[in-house]
This record gives sequence, C-alpha cells and structure tokens, in this order.
Amino acid sequence: MHSSTFNFERPIPAQPWRGVAVLVIVIILFAAAAWEVRCRAVGYGPTLNDTEDLWAQARRRVEPGSVVIVGDSRAWFDSDLDELERGLGSRPVQLAQPGSCAYPVLEDLANDENFHGTIICSIVPRMFFAPGGPLVENARKAVKRYHTQTLAQRASHRLAVPLEEHVAFLKERDLTTEALLKELPIPNRPGALVPPRPPPYFQSVDRERRARMTESCANPGRLQTRVKTGWSRLFTPPPPPRYIPKEAFEQRIAQAIEARFRDTTAAVEKLRRRGGKVVFVRFPVSGELKAFEDQSTPRTGIWDRLIRDSAAPGIYFEDFPELASFTCPEWSHLSAGDSVEFTRRLVPHLRTALGM
Amino acid sequence: MLGFFKYGNFLLENFQWVLARGGITYKPPHLDVFLPIGISFYTFHSLSYTLDIYRGVMGPTRSLRDFALAVSFFPQLVAGPIVRAGDFLPQLEAPPKPQNDRFLWGLVLMTLGLFEKVVLADTMLAGSADSVFGYAGPLIALDSWLGVIAFAGQIFFDFAGYSTCAIGAALCLGFHLKDNFRFPYAAIGFSDFWRRRHISLSTFLRDYLYIPLGGNRSGAARAMINLIIVMFIGGLWHGAAWTFVVWGLLHGSYLVIERLLKAFVRPTTWTESLGVKLLIGLATYAAVCLAWVFFRASDFTVATRLLRGMFGGHAQADAILSTREILQIGIVTLGMFIVQWSLRETSLEAAVARLPRSVVTAAWAFMAGALILTQGNSNAFIYFQF
Repeated sequence: MHSSTFNFERPIPAQPWRGVAVLVIVIILFAAAAWEVRCRAVGYGPTLNDTEDLWAQARRRVEPGSVVIVGDSRAWFDSDLDELERGLGSRPVQLAQPGSCAYPVLEDLANDENFHGTIICSIVPRMFFAPGGPLVENARKAVKRYHTQTLAQRASHRLAVPLEEHVAFLKERDLTTEALLKELPIPNRPGALVPPRPPPYFQSVDRERRARMTESCANPGRLQTRVKTGWSRLFTPPPPPRYIPKEAFEQRIAQAIEARFRDTTAAVEKLRRRGGKVVFVRFPVSGELKAFEDQSTPRTGIWDRLIRDSAAPGIYFEDFPELASFTCPEWSHLSAGDSVEFTRRLVPHLRTALGM
Repeated sequence: MLGFFKYGNFLLENFQWVLARGGITYKPPHLDVFLPIGISFYTFHSLSYTLDIYRGVMGPTRSLRDFALAVSFFPQLVAGPIVRAGDFLPQLEAPPKPQNDRFLWGLVLMTLGLFEKVVLADTMLAGSADSVFGYAGPLIALDSWLGVIAFAGQIFFDFAGYSTCAIGAALCLGFHLKDNFRFPYAAIGFSDFWRRRHISLSTFLRDYLYIPLGGNRSGAARAMINLIIVMFIGGLWHGAAWTFVVWGLLHGSYLVIERLLKAFVRPTTWTESLGVKLLIGLATYAAVCLAWVFFRASDFTVATRLLRGMFGGHAQADAILSTREILQIGIVTLGMFIVQWSLRETSLEAAVARLPRSVVTAAWAFMAGALILTQGNSNAFIYFQF
C-alpha cells in the first residue's frame, strides 16, 4: 500500500475526440494519396533511398573473398552487377556512394582482417583527394553506421524498404519538408557562403544498391539540363576561408593530399599482404565537366602518381577506345543501358588487371 | 554510480590538468564505458523515492514491481521528465481503466511532441544552429545571433517535444505525468523562466538541494550562494564539461541579479504594464540565449568566438546562412513567441478545450501530415545524452 497524499490527474480537454480522430485519419489518407499522385505525375517513381542503413546492409554482405566496388557516384551508376558477376565469377557488392570520397571505405576494408577479396575503386580526383568536408563525412557516416548500427535502426530499415519500393513520395533528398523548402526560389545575400544543392533524384536504386539513371535524365530535357548545370557549382571548390592566410590554407590542403596518397598506398599494401587486390578505375566523364576535370586535376598530377605510388593496376577509360566511346548524358554518369555495355567492355580489362 | 559513469573521464581529465599545473605528467587511462540508457533519470527517480521516504513525505512501497516501474517507466526513462515516486506510485494502486478520450488526447500529445521535435527542431532550426556552431571562422553579428536563436528554439522544441511525447505515451497507457514545460520563452524574469522550463528538474533541485541547503531561511546572502550552488550542480548535471558549468553559473548569476533588482525595485503600476512585461520578457530571452552559447558550444574557443561575433567583434567575418534559413528561424521563433505569450497564463488543455472542433481537427491533421512529409532520419533527442 502506497501512503502518499499526491493525487495528480491531467485534464483531458472536452472535445468529441472520436469524431476528430476519424476525420483526421480520413484527411491524412486523402492528402497522402493526393501527394502520391502529384509526385508520380511530375516524374517520381517508387525506389529505395540510398541511406546509410542500405549501405550497411550491403556492407554486411561482404565476405572474405568478395569483389567489392567502392568509390563515388560514377562507380555506382556505371557498374552493372550482372555483367561483373558474369565476367569475374562472383557477384560484386556495391559500396560506392554518390557524393563521397572512397578512401574511408577503402581504409575500413583494409583494416578488416577477415577481408582478402578484390576492390574495384573508382577515382574522381577531386572527390578521392577531398581533404575533409561532406565528401569524406558521407563515407565515414556510412562506415560508422555499419559498425554501430543498432537493432532499432535495422528494424526501421526493414520496414522502410518495402514502403519505399511502393510509395513514390518517400524520397529523402527531394520530397521531404526540408528539401521542398530548399527548392523555394529565394535569392541569398551577396557574399553569403551557402553550399550548392546536390542534384535532384535521377536514378532508381534496388536492394543491392544498383543505381540506374532514369529515362527522363538520360534523354534531353529539363531534368538533364538541371543535373548537368549543377555539376560546375558542385565541382568548383569553395573559396578559401578568410580566417586562415591563403598560403597557410593552401599548404594545409597540399599536406592533406600528400597524406591521402600515403594512406591509400598503405591501405593497398595492407590488403595486398593478406592476398587482397585493388584495381583503380577512372570511369567516363563527358562534355564541359570532363574539360573542367582535365584542367583542374590533370591526369599526370593525380592518377599517374596514384598508380605509381600504390603499385596497383589502373584502368583509365580514355586509354581504351572501346571504353572512351561512351557519352554521359548529363556529363558525369552513363545511362542505364550504356552502363551495362560499358561494364561488359570493362570486364576483360579488369580480368587482365587482376591477373585472372 | 552516476559519478562513475557520467563524470569518471571528466574528473580524470581535470585531475590530469591539475597535476600538469604542478609539473607532474600523468596520463590517466580513458574509461571507454557505455553510459547506461537513462542513467541520470533513473538515478534521480531512485533518489526522490529514497529521500521522500526518509523525510516522511511518503511510505515505502511493498511491491518490487511497482518500484521498478516507477524508476524505469519507459516513456520518460531516457530524457525525462523526472517523475517523483510520490506522483507515480499511487497511480499503480489500481490498474488504469481504458478511456477513449484519454487515449486519443494522448495520441494528440504524441503527435504534437513529434511535430515539435521532427518538424520544428530538426527540420526548421537544427541545420542553421549546427552550421553556426560548427563554423570554424568568425561570423557576422546577424548570423551569430540567428544561430544562437535557432539553437534556443531547437532545444526547446526538442526537449519539450520529447516531454510531450512522454506525457502522451503515458496517458495512452493510463498514467498521468506532470508538465515539464509551461511556455518558458514567455517568462518574465529568470525565476519565472525556471518555473516554466524543465520544471521536473528545477523543482527536484529546489526540493532536494536548495531547501536542504537552507533555501531562503538563512538570510539573503546565503540564499544567493545557495542559488549559485544549485545552478552549478544543475549545469554539471547536463554534462561533464566546464561549458555546462558556465551555463549553470550564468543562470545562477541571473537569478541572483534578479533577486537584487527585486529588492530595490518594488512592483508599481508601470512595472506591471504589458509593455514593460514584454520588455523584461525579451531581456530574459536574450540573456537565456547568451547562456545557450555555452550550452551548445563544443568548447570555450567556439563559445568566445561566437559571443564576439554576436557583438560585432570580428573585423573580417563571414555570412553563412541562406535567406531561406534566416526566414525559417524568424518565422518559427516569431510563431513560438506568439503561442507562448498568448498561452502563458493558461494551459494547453484549457486552450484546446476552447477551440472549435474544426480547428482542432485541422491542427492535428496538419501536424500528422507534416510528420509524414518530413521523412527520413532525424537527429537523436538532445537530452538523450544527459
């Protein structure tokens, strides 16, 4: 028996709650259906969000001898898993992430004592050698999620996957409240250091994280133009911060790039000692973006040195006419159809590079 | 137990610092211990039970099951409100009977709490606060202030949202928890602020620390020292870092200054006018915002750089917030003020009871719809870490 003098009870506001609840359910169902119809009408279809949980799920599929694809969105869009399986004899695991630097994933696999498989690593110099910031953070977050994913996060992911496969408006990057607010055409203050927006959805993603460019982006039109014109802003480095002297900042960046060369070489060596293999791949890029990359990150300064330092094989698309003949519709990635053909043509080069 | 889990590394680091000042090099081992879920809260729940029995406020329960439930009742276990055993145990004497209205009002409160957390705190404000507090360089005054104002709103909606969810979830199960927030940004003065914010902690500290220390009974000077001690501990309770201590001490100082002012300025007609009340309310909010800088900043370098920015102290400073973010902060903060000032003398329940059914329906549907639209991963509740 509790001997307490407290007798607290919260008031319940007088409202016809049952009727209100029924009305709310009807309104929500109607509004959600209307929003779904609207989203499909403007070109969105049901597909998975490429979340850290989906990545962690793929990472768990890595077995000791797996073939693993790491890197940026080019490896994500341009690699066809069926063709790679057919050509290399085992189904690869897709761990490339859009808008990310591959190094944290490469490092994680190199530190995984159980892993002695093959890594196909995409190199976009400005992304792989990013000294920090969102590109590195995106990859680190995914790696961290794999190592620390809780049961609740796994359960939440399991619930989300079938929903995302059937509901078009479940698009984390485009159709959330925050994303919709970001789309409002509100000009910024002159001189405000506001980061550029990533491109809108232009892909479908399946449970193996195979990304395919949508037809609306592969064909000329509004979406393709929007994605294309967004790259120059995204690939242009932000101005150096004013609170650090320019020389000191440049020195810091140069040191970070040198450190990335050293760390990558060490990671490759670590894997090699366990019997693992790494092959670096430069996937196709086209148009003004290719001109920009060739000019800002010349092959001799980055790619050639990486191959030399790491002593790992490399496949540079421009070295082979059959790989260089593709055009990226929005300058950075191949269409879904071309990605299959490109992978088919890439396989013999991979087999040679891997000594198969 | 709380000292080991929550403050072990903090104490070791400070011990190391003191030894280093004396020329002794000592590197303590880093205690890589997991903080048990809700440790602060079930420690406080157990403390209140023990102290209330010791003081004769209530008798001990004979049921281990009831005691365990009072200490670890899941809706409020990880982030509060701190529930007194005396408020909760009597509710276990008879199993709660299902009631439709209570259940549905519980669902409304859960929707409101989630809306505050997911839409207002995480979507509308958190990004701006994170950008400003995470920026490594100097900022202009506007962006510095807006970042702090965004955090002031974020932490309110985050914590009040959690508390509202906890109260709603408990109601759905048939249990009644007391309010943890009562429109704190409509406070007129700092003692009013602490009567309205994190009420379960401030009343806990009042009953179990301030009054046992002597409260107001041993003279004005001693009462002020007691206030500082209480707020120092209140700051430390929030986290094992000196920035939290400074936050607590600032609030302690505010309370002392308010006492001194009240001793000299007696209430008259003009001090009771709405305009003056609003001005004092705004001054209270500004001072609270200044204290939030120390609460949110990762260290004193960040805090001092931001404070300098707030007062235009940087010759070359950057603007980093987009116009959209500025508008979001402005609209949400203005809306928050309007709601809190219009409800400051009443309660949510009383206000909802007065509303027409159509407005209640529209508001509930709007919040639920916004929650569906605000999909994806949200940040963890800020108070989970405490």
